[in-house]
Amino acid sequence: MVQGLTYRYQPGGPLVLKGIDFHVSRGEIVAVTGLSGCGKSTLCYCICGAFHHNRDGVMTGQVLLNGKNIRERRAASLALEVGMVFQDPDTQLFLPTVEDEIAFVPENLCLPSARIRERVEQVLDLLGLAALREANPHRLSGGEKHLVALAAVLALDPPVLILDEVMSQLDQLGKEKVAAALKRLRNMGKAIIAVEHNLEAVSLADRLLVMERGELLSCGRTAELLADRELMEARGLLYDPSGSAQDS
Amino acid sequence: MKLDPRTKMVMVLCLSGLALLYNTPGRLLLLLAVTVAILLLFRFDLGAIGSYLKPFLSLMVFLFVIQCLFAPSGRVLLAVGPVPLATTGGLLTGAGVVLRIVVVTAAAMLLATFNARDFILGLVQWKVPYELAFMVFIALRFLPVFRDELVNVVTAVQLRGIDLKKVPWGQKIAMYRRLLFPVIYGAMLKAQRLAVSMEARGFRVYPRRTYLRRLNFRFVDYMVLVIFPLITIVLILLQLS
Amino acid sequence: MSFLEIDHVSFTYPRHDKPVLTDVDLHFDQGVITALVGPNGSGKTTLTRLMIGVLRPSCGEIRLERRPLVEYSLGEIGRRVGYVFQNPDLQLFCGSVAEEVGFGLANRGCKQETVMERVAFYLDYFELKDYADVFPLHLSQGEKQRLAIAAVLANDPLFLVLDEPTVGLDAYRKRLLEDYLKKISRSGRGMVLVSHDTAFVDRVAERVVILEKGRVIEDSGRKGKAADEA
Repeated sequence: MVQGLTYRYQPGGPLVLKGIDFHVSRGEIVAVTGLSGCGKSTLCYCICGAFHHNRDGVMTGQVLLNGKNIRERRAASLALEVGMVFQDPDTQLFLPTVEDEIAFVPENLCLPSARIRERVEQVLDLLGLAALREANPHRLSGGEKHLVALAAVLALDPPVLILDEVMSQLDQLGKEKVAAALKRLRNMGKAIIAVEHNLEAVSLADRLLVMERGELLSCGRTAELLADRELMEARGLLYDPSGSAQDS
Repeated sequence: MKLDPRTKMVMVLCLSGLALLYNTPGRLLLLLAVTVAILLLFRFDLGAIGSYLKPFLSLMVFLFVIQCLFAPSGRVLLAVGPVPLATTGGLLTGAGVVLRIVVVTAAAMLLATFNARDFILGLVQWKVPYELAFMVFIALRFLPVFRDELVNVVTAVQLRGIDLKKVPWGQKIAMYRRLLFPVIYGAMLKAQRLAVSMEARGFRVYPRRTYLRRLNFRFVDYMVLVIFPLITIVLILLQLS
Repeated sequence: MSFLEIDHVSFTYPRHDKPVLTDVDLHFDQGVITALVGPNGSGKTTLTRLMIGVLRPSCGEIRLERRPLVEYSLGEIGRRVGYVFQNPDLQLFCGSVAEEVGFGLANRGCKQETVMERVAFYLDYFELKDYADVFPLHLSQGEKQRLAIAAVLANDPLFLVLDEPTVGLDAYRKRLLEDYLKKISRSGRGMVLVSHDTAFVDRVAERVVILEKGRVIEDSGRKGKAADEA
C-alpha cells in the first residue's frame, strides 16, 4: 500500500512523484503505464526500497508492506519480500552460468544445498529455461537475458513482485512464457506490479494504474479503463487508433 | 585432469615465485617448459598465450634491447666505436627479462582454466569472508567490462561517422579526453546498479551463505599441494646458496 | 541497384561451434523499409552487426554500394549507414544530450550554426528539448532510446539499421517514430528494422524477412522499383 508518496531526486529539485496513493492486494496483477518519463520506474524503485537505502533523494509519504512501513526495514530484508526485475538485464547478471544466477538467491538465503537445487529446477521449469542451464548469460540474446533476469528474481519466491518493462523486450514465445508464469504466480497469491507500455501485457492485469508526469491519473479495473478509449488515446496508450489494435 | 582451483592458485604462486627468482635464461627456459607442460596437461590452448602477448610484443622487444644496451657484460659481439651494442651478457640478461614475463603470463593462464564461480567457492572454503571473495570476483569481472565499454564507445563513435584514423592527433586526444569521463561514469553507474540488484536479491542478508556445490580436495590435490611447494622451496634454497 | 547486399553469408562466433547464421542471402534497396523478425536467438542482432561491419562473416561477402564492406573503414560505414543498438547504453557517450545529438555533425566539420539548428530540430521532434543539458545515462530507458535514434538520424545517413527501436517507447512515441521513418523512406533512404513489435512492423514495413535459427525462412520479397533487377 502506498500513501501520499512524493519523491525528488535531489533536495530542492523537481518532484518526480507527486502524491501517489494506491494499493495492491495478494493474488492480483496491477499494471502501471503511462508516457515515458512519467515516473513509473521511479515509483517501482521507491516501493522496493532501492532508493531509500541507496540514494539521497527525498521521499515523503509512506509505503506499507503488510502494514509495516518499509523505512523501518533493512534493505536486504526488504529484498526478501519484494522481488524487483530491473529494465536492463546486463546490470543484473554477473555470474558465469544461468544456473549460478538462479542459485544466487537461495544461496544468499542460506538454504541447504538440496533445497537450492530444488528451487533452481522449479524456476527453470517455470520459465522453460532448462535448456539454457549451462549457458553464459552474457552470450544470450536480449530476450533470453530478460528471462534469466526474471528467473533470478523468481528464485526469491517473494510475496510481491515488481517487473520493469519485462514483456516489451520479449518475442512472442517469451511473452507467452512470462504471461503464463505470471498467471500462475498470481494464483499462488502473489502481488504483482508490472510496468509496461505494451497493451498486450497490460491486458493481463486485473487493475491498471495510469500515470502522467508523476501523478496518478486513474486507477481501476483494466477492462473498464481500456474501454475508455478517449483516456487511452489521449494518454497515447492506444497505438492503433483504428481500434483493431488489441494485438494478441 | 581436474584440480581444485585452490591447488591451481598455489601452483601459480610457486611458478611465479620461481620466475622472479631465476635470472638466467637457461633456468627460465626450463621453467617455461615445465609451465607449458602443465598447461598442456590441462589441455590449455597455447595459441591463447600467443594472442594475449601479441600486443606486448613491441614492449618486450624494447625491454630486450634496453637490457642489452645498458647491462653489457661478457664478450662484446657488436660494437659501434667504443660503445658495445651487443654483448653476450647483455643478450642473456635481455632474454632473461623477456622469458620471465612469458613464464609469469603462462602461469597466470592457469588461473583462466577454471570457472570464476569455483574461484569464489575456493576462497570461501579457505575461510575468506564471502563479501571479500565476491568483491574480488566482481573486480576481476569488471576489468573486461571496462575494456568492453571502451571498445563500445570507440565503435559507437566511429559508427557516427567519425573516421578515427583520419582525425588529427590533437583533435583525437581532445575527443578521447572528453569521452573518458562519461565512459568511467557509465561503468560506475553499471557497478552501482549491479550492487543494487545484488542486494535486491538478498546478498548480505545473513552473515553466512550456503552454496549449491562444494569443492572437495581429491587425492591428486593433496599430492600437488604437498609436492609443488616442497620442490619450490628446495629450488629456492638451491638458488640462494 | 541494391544498396546493401548480403551474399551467402554464414557466421560463427570464434571459439563457438554452432553457427549463428547459415547461408543468409539478402539484398536491401534504397527507399524500402524491411523488417527483420524472428524468435529470440535467431541471429537477428548478429546479422545487423555483420551488416555494419562490426563483425566479419565467416564465409560469404557483404557489399555496400557494390563495394565489399571490408574495404570500408568503420567511420566510412558510419557515414552511410546509421545503426541504433538494441541497448541505448552502448551508444551514448557524450556529456549532455545536446552534445550527443550534434556529435556526428560537429566532428565532421559542419558549421556551428548548422549543427545547432539540426540539434534543435531533433531535440524538438523527439521531445528531448527539456533535457538538452542532462547527462544521457541519467535519462529513463525510453528517453535514452529516443536520444539514440535522434543522434543517429541527425547524421543524415543514407541507410538505417535499427535494432528493436520501439522497445521502451510508449504508443504515442511509436507513432512519432513511425511517421518519421516513413518520411525518411519516402525521401529515398532504405532501412532495416529488427523488431518483435508485430503491430509496429505491420504498420511500417514494406518487406518482411523472417529469420529462424540463423536461416532466412521467409522473405516477402523486394517490391517496387528494385524488383525488376534480380
